[in-house]
Amino acid sequence: MIFAEWKPLDELIDKLEPHKKVLLAGCATCVAECAAGGEKETETLAPLLRMALKKKGHSIEIVTATIERQCEWEFVEELAEKVAGVDAIMSIACGIGVQALAERFDPVPVYPGVNTSALTIREEAGIWAARCAACGDCVLGETFGYCPIARCAKSLLNGPCGGTRKNGKCEVNEDVDCVWSLIVERAERRGRLESLSILRKPKDWSNSRHGGPKRVIREDLRQ
Amino acid sequence: MKMLVGSNLERVLAAGHFAVTAEVGPPRGPDPGDVKKKARILRGVADAYNVTDNQTAVVRMSSIAASKILLQEGLEPVMQMVCRDRNRIALQSDLLGASALGLRNVLCLSGDHQSAGAGGKLKGHPGAKNVYDIDSIQLIAVVKGLRDQAMQEGGDSISPAAPFFIGAAWTPLGPPEKFRTIRLAKKINAGANFIQTQAVYDIKRFAEAVRRAEDMGLTDRAAILPGIIVPRSAGMLRYMNASVPGVEVPDEIIQRMKDASDPQEEGIKIALELIVAVKSLSGIKGVHLQAIEAEGLLPDLIKAAGLLPRPHVY
Amino acid sequence: MQYSVLTSSNDVPDTGPGILARKTVECALILGQMCMVDGIKELNQDTEVVVLYCQHGLCDEAKASAWSEQACGLSVRAIMMPCSSKIEVPYILRILESGTDAVEIVACPEKSCKFLVGSLRTEKRVEYVRGLLEKIGYAPERVGISRRLAQSPQELIVLAKARADAVRPFGINPMKKGEQQ
Repeated sequence: MIFAEWKPLDELIDKLEPHKKVLLAGCATCVAECAAGGEKETETLAPLLRMALKKKGHSIEIVTATIERQCEWEFVEELAEKVAGVDAIMSIACGIGVQALAERFDPVPVYPGVNTSALTIREEAGIWAARCAACGDCVLGETFGYCPIARCAKSLLNGPCGGTRKNGKCEVNEDVDCVWSLIVERAERRGRLESLSILRKPKDWSNSRHGGPKRVIREDLRQ
Repeated sequence: MKMLVGSNLERVLAAGHFAVTAEVGPPRGPDPGDVKKKARILRGVADAYNVTDNQTAVVRMSSIAASKILLQEGLEPVMQMVCRDRNRIALQSDLLGASALGLRNVLCLSGDHQSAGAGGKLKGHPGAKNVYDIDSIQLIAVVKGLRDQAMQEGGDSISPAAPFFIGAAWTPLGPPEKFRTIRLAKKINAGANFIQTQAVYDIKRFAEAVRRAEDMGLTDRAAILPGIIVPRSAGMLRYMNASVPGVEVPDEIIQRMKDASDPQEEGIKIALELIVAVKSLSGIKGVHLQAIEAEGLLPDLIKAAGLLPRPHVY
Repeated sequence: MQYSVLTSSNDVPDTGPGILARKTVECALILGQMCMVDGIKELNQDTEVVVLYCQHGLCDEAKASAWSEQACGLSVRAIMMPCSSKIEVPYILRILESGTDAVEIVACPEKSCKFLVGSLRTEKRVEYVRGLLEKIGYAPERVGISRRLAQSPQELIVLAKARADAVRPFGINPMKKGEQQ
């Protein structure tokens, strides 16, 4: 899922201080899966922010609403009745949702309550790990199902570098396995180690953000 | 080995001499005098001098500038180039510039991630956006393309070709160990002419790795120069053993430094023994000496190893 | 000392809800005695503590869904949960937002939870809420957890009193209406 985490509470409090009535909008998809922006989190953040602002001498009204996804206009529309009367919205959805609300509910300011930072899998309860970098040129077929772009700190295509720790962890982050170690081990187990002797040429990054802001048009799906 | 470029390092190796390279760290500032000072200390003790490229992601005088200053002082540089900070456009552009300035040796590295910051001692720039557009092995191939095909990575030509003697790094004892020799082969296949290794302390294990490389025919195709870092203290060795990937320090050596009444002297002794040991290994064509921010130790060490004077090969 | 009771023990039958009432009176008496022993001064305002307790944390004879007790500057409202793990982070925060000075959670000890990991999860949530409170400048002591099994109402009140004591140095909850800081 798209992974996000709460911004520091001080930042959120500062942003909301000048406002009287705020809609705290959650999203029930990705950010709910990573315990940052779902209904439970709106119901945690709302009293927390009210308490924090009360302590600073501000009485603020925070209403909450969580929709299925903030990246679809039909769901965003459900918030319209809640927006009437608020002087700001704080969205704890990913950056896509924040922008959708900002576009639909202009001129009401929409503040992000989270930092969107990765595309992850939930390995187990409480642990999320990056899996995809949206590089636009997937090499998973050559690396035995391990992504070297997202999971190697240096995005090496001909790894590993000299920085693999003795315990097989990445030099940069000891919580993370050296993904090239994993690739080599899996290749070996499948008797395909020699496939890693082939020099992988430099990547074409142009199908990702590096090629410019993406806007994709599918004529077959337009109405 | 046929002459590709004619750099001093290449000529010394081609003539069959045991080569010596030494490392020079550029200053954390713009004063060319700092580089000249190191040049004066190290003049004549090595065949070529590695100039690091923002090592441990700490901003220092650029490798290309510091290399040029060394060249002007009469020393032959090995310009180190990492993939962390520059994309393929900048890397190739700087290679053309380096060649124009007379630099003929380049060491291609991936580069420490910017979170390194000199092992936590300096602030560094952990918030910087990293590049890693291409990796070290792709860079080797790019340099080879500039030299042998007069061609850029994207397909455009250059004129004339840019001659470089191409180096790469090897961490023979890094996990997964079995793959390290395969990866060495990849680098040599991509065009590496000489190899400098991560610091060696465990001769037995290093020798095993070199034998594997020899079995694959790699030691004839590229000159392997093991890295030797002069120990300064037992603490330094313990740190390296625990925290520097690919460095294995046998307990006996740590103990010797611990028991030594004069650690500096003992460190030099150990370094000497290591140099003698690697020199005796078949397939080893030289040695790469590093004394981090203690370049002053190297001249006496190299002399004591019987490696002076350095040969003049024409 | 002042204390109020829900009912007088003389009018109360010895079974069913009457037992709760009887226990309540006994708690009041115990609290009264404790007040005498500890010499607690009365506060201008009672310290309000909500006790959320697992049904298994309370011994059988006095189970009820909610009861309250007030004595010596302490006002206790006790609410029974089917398992302490039903206590979610938003509930705790809303209780504090409403002005309660402190929340004491009584959860079963590690190996005794009938839902195996229920009380363990509760403990993690309590830690999490304490961290959040600290971040917004509220005393983390306003939420606490005790791991106990088969307590009597008196024992629950003792836990509430301990929580009130822990929180007293930090004053009343800033969220109490009309109060600043």
